[in-house]
Amino acid sequence: MKCTECSYEAPVPSFRYLYNVRIDASLTLRQCPQCQVRLVVDELAGEATQRLDDGDAPWGKSAGIEGLAEDAI
Amino acid sequence: MSAEPAKNDVSFQEHEEKQEWWWIAEKRRSKRLDYLRKAVWKKGALGGNYAPGIKVDLDGPKLFTDMWRFWKFDPVMMRRAKSLAHVLDNIPIFITDHSQIMGYWGSAPHTISWRVDGASMVNEELYNEPGVMPEPEEESLRKVAEINDYWAGQTAVDKLARILDPEDAVKFLSGAIGWGAPTSAYGYSGKNYEYFLKGERGFEDIIADIEKNIEEAEEKCVGTPGPDILPIYDRIQNWDAMITVLEAAIRFAKRYARLARTLAENFETDEKRREELLRVAETCERVPAKAPRNLQESFQLDHFVQILSRFEASEGAWPARPDYYHGPFYEKDVLVDKTLTEEEATDLVGEFMIRVYEVGGFGPRWAREGMQGITGTWVWTIGGVKPDGSDACNALTTAFLRTSRLIRVSNPTFAFRWHPKVKDEVMRECFECIRHGLGYPSFRNDPILVANCMNWHGHPIEEARTWVHQACMSPCPTTKHGVQPFRMASATANCSKMVEYALHNGYDHVVGMQMGPLTGDARTFTDFEQLFEAWTRQMQWLLSLLVRTVNLGRYKDPEFYGRPFLSGITERAVESGLDAVSPVGERGNCWITAFTWVENVDSLAAVKKLVFDDKKYTMEQLINALESNWDGCEQMRLDFVNKAPKWGNDDDYVDDIMLRCLRTMAIHSRVMRCTSNNTWPAAPQNVSGNIHYSSVVGALPNGRRLGDALYDGGISPGPGLDKKGPTAVLKSCGKIDHVSDGRAFLLNQRLSPTQMAGEKGYQLWRAYMRTWADLGLDHIQFNMVSDKTLRAAQRDPEKYQEVIVRVAGYSAHFVDISRKTQDNIIQRTVHGL
Amino acid sequence: MSTCSECKSFFSREDEQGKGDCVLRVVDPRQAYYKTRPVNPDGDASGCESFQKK
Repeated sequence: MKCTECSYEAPVPSFRYLYNVRIDASLTLRQCPQCQVRLVVDELAGEATQRLDDGDAPWGKSAGIEGLAEDAI
Repeated sequence: MSAEPAKNDVSFQEHEEKQEWWWIAEKRRSKRLDYLRKAVWKKGALGGNYAPGIKVDLDGPKLFTDMWRFWKFDPVMMRRAKSLAHVLDNIPIFITDHSQIMGYWGSAPHTISWRVDGASMVNEELYNEPGVMPEPEEESLRKVAEINDYWAGQTAVDKLARILDPEDAVKFLSGAIGWGAPTSAYGYSGKNYEYFLKGERGFEDIIADIEKNIEEAEEKCVGTPGPDILPIYDRIQNWDAMITVLEAAIRFAKRYARLARTLAENFETDEKRREELLRVAETCERVPAKAPRNLQESFQLDHFVQILSRFEASEGAWPARPDYYHGPFYEKDVLVDKTLTEEEATDLVGEFMIRVYEVGGFGPRWAREGMQGITGTWVWTIGGVKPDGSDACNALTTAFLRTSRLIRVSNPTFAFRWHPKVKDEVMRECFECIRHGLGYPSFRNDPILVANCMNWHGHPIEEARTWVHQACMSPCPTTKHGVQPFRMASATANCSKMVEYALHNGYDHVVGMQMGPLTGDARTFTDFEQLFEAWTRQMQWLLSLLVRTVNLGRYKDPEFYGRPFLSGITERAVESGLDAVSPVGERGNCWITAFTWVENVDSLAAVKKLVFDDKKYTMEQLINALESNWDGCEQMRLDFVNKAPKWGNDDDYVDDIMLRCLRTMAIHSRVMRCTSNNTWPAAPQNVSGNIHYSSVVGALPNGRRLGDALYDGGISPGPGLDKKGPTAVLKSCGKIDHVSDGRAFLLNQRLSPTQMAGEKGYQLWRAYMRTWADLGLDHIQFNMVSDKTLRAAQRDPEKYQEVIVRVAGYSAHFVDISRKTQDNIIQRTVHGL
Repeated sequence: MSTCSECKSFFSREDEQGKGDCVLRVVDPRQAYYKTRPVNPDGDASGCESFQKK
């Protein structure tokens, strides 16, 4: 897997596991051992998809919100 | 000091539309409350670390240790009484500008207190904690080292550790299966409010009663010799200790009176403030020595008792029922005599809460991580019924709810005892608090919990009806035989370990040692019953170990610690001359806090479905996947999440497993006995232990990896896994018998603030609450802050300092909890009603 | 040697002969308050940073 920020490349488990994004999704958060950036990782594809900044919500909408009015989000 | 009129109503409307309730609060509260609220040094750790400027108080520990060393020949209770009296006579005290309620647990507003005689490991942790030493740091470190050297080996926990079974001690101290310390030094002390807070007696009255008891006892000691006389000698010493500390408490209050009078006569130039200071002086001269006569005195008595208790022991909870005990004074002063205007009363009510918000003691890291953003679970009970069953809500109930929206503190929070006779106007006030995003009050089903108190501990109905939250969730009466003098947090079980150990033959791969019993290699299990049998044995072992430790701690506490002040305000101890902690005369009110519970249910259901029923995977494959933390098994992990039934969807497949687990545990709860020979029911709830234990619990069949947050607790479904809507959640939870399956069951729900707006929102919520009550659930609490606001607060925490969220059994400011906890809250399902 | 009783911040106790309180104004980054601690009237105040002669 390649870090989206510094291009460090190593097997997925080499990137420090932080926690899941949502238990029912294959996305997780891992940390790059080289540049320390927090990455969003697709565990099925074995790919880092983006860095995670404060306020980012890679899981998209919280569960249940789909059934509510748009302005409820 | 009345509230400033709104500058323009439009701005209120704009804030309301944006759900920026904290700005509305700031504009609507009085100048006094605004000053006092902003003056607070927040003691809750931010995601585990203390805020800049917070320093540990070294005055109290030094004074206490000096005197403890001096009185080395006294029995423990007297030694503590004299040492405590020395602290109360000499520790610096202060009066904050504009304040009217006195008392703080420390020598300055920015200090956190430190319990030196509780546990050496906490003392060592303090020595190594960066940033909390007062300047000059080197000198402070030297003082701490001296104090630590003295206490090493003779703190309450050190003494207990020497007599615990060594294997139990090592397993408990591994940190994997439970937390807390088996001593009243860090306990949750119930208070015998029916004895001292009904406006009928002050400490002088209690001292007079004790003196009479001593006189009678001394007469017996010179009477006919016999075995009945022998215990009396110790009891006289205990009574003397109670008097020593009660007298010191009166002197402590009078120090505030003297300071207030000195300020009024020598410093204060503002006439109104001078009058206030003189009233403060009069109040502190009156209470706690004598019974209170008005609201200010009643609040002051209560607050002094709480502060004095904390000088004696670092109480981690704040059991209270303020509307019930202070309400008669509120109604007399505000509604009958009209000696207080509503605005003046609001200032007192608000400050009563702010004085609590500012209190904090040093806690070890596990406690800070487990209760992020707060310094203890200070859940105040309001509402409910009187001993005769009639509605106990009064004008102060609504005053507290209204005022909480003005001051927006995260501690204390309220838990409302709902019952069918509660008036709609009170429910509307509760709803407004939730709509304003406070996360409280939580709702407790009073008829269910009264029955629960009677079922588990045999409290008579009139006593059961006095119940307060002893910590986050568990009810405890405030009566002579019903009150539990302290409950040790160490009966707190990390329940996910039950299923983890059942799958790994009792071995803990995270801490690397054999913890539980050998229940067989799960790879060889051929049916679900074998797994369930292993789970049952691990559950029994885990709970028994914790309860053994706590029972022993409780039994030895009068010898290892001693509570002269708590005894002096507990009718049973005043009457008997025994330490309040002694189980003699107590009915017993123990419970096990069951952290990380639902993972058991979802994990067992997943194994049953995918391995034994569908035979999609083998046990061999599952154990291998768990041992590798699901690495390289992502599709299999997703199957265990998405293709197995999950709790909270009204699905009998998994709900039946929940009931079976709870009922199997309830049987063991009756097998284990407390020091009063009563039961040990479980109360599933979490505080933020789901984050603390995320790095302690290994991979589980519900699909979580080591490192992932556990579910947010109690009987709340996993975040995002309750896919069938709010009624399905209630229906699942309603299958549990909330009277006999356990002590209490926490349920978190997240609602949409937009949907809950206006009268329509209230009516939707009321209908939902009717279903909750009809299904017989004992608890529910709500988060009603939008994703948008929470994400904005993550991006720009400075701008969102006042956003409050419900974590588990408590509320916290969103910016004070870790990113992981924040994300866990955002991940919770938002239910449309 | 200066003693506590010579200081502006010293207030003797009316009801307790030979005892007194040191009362100081403190303004910290969040709040202002008055603080007191018991002192001996004859206590040595020569090293006290807050000493102000009456």
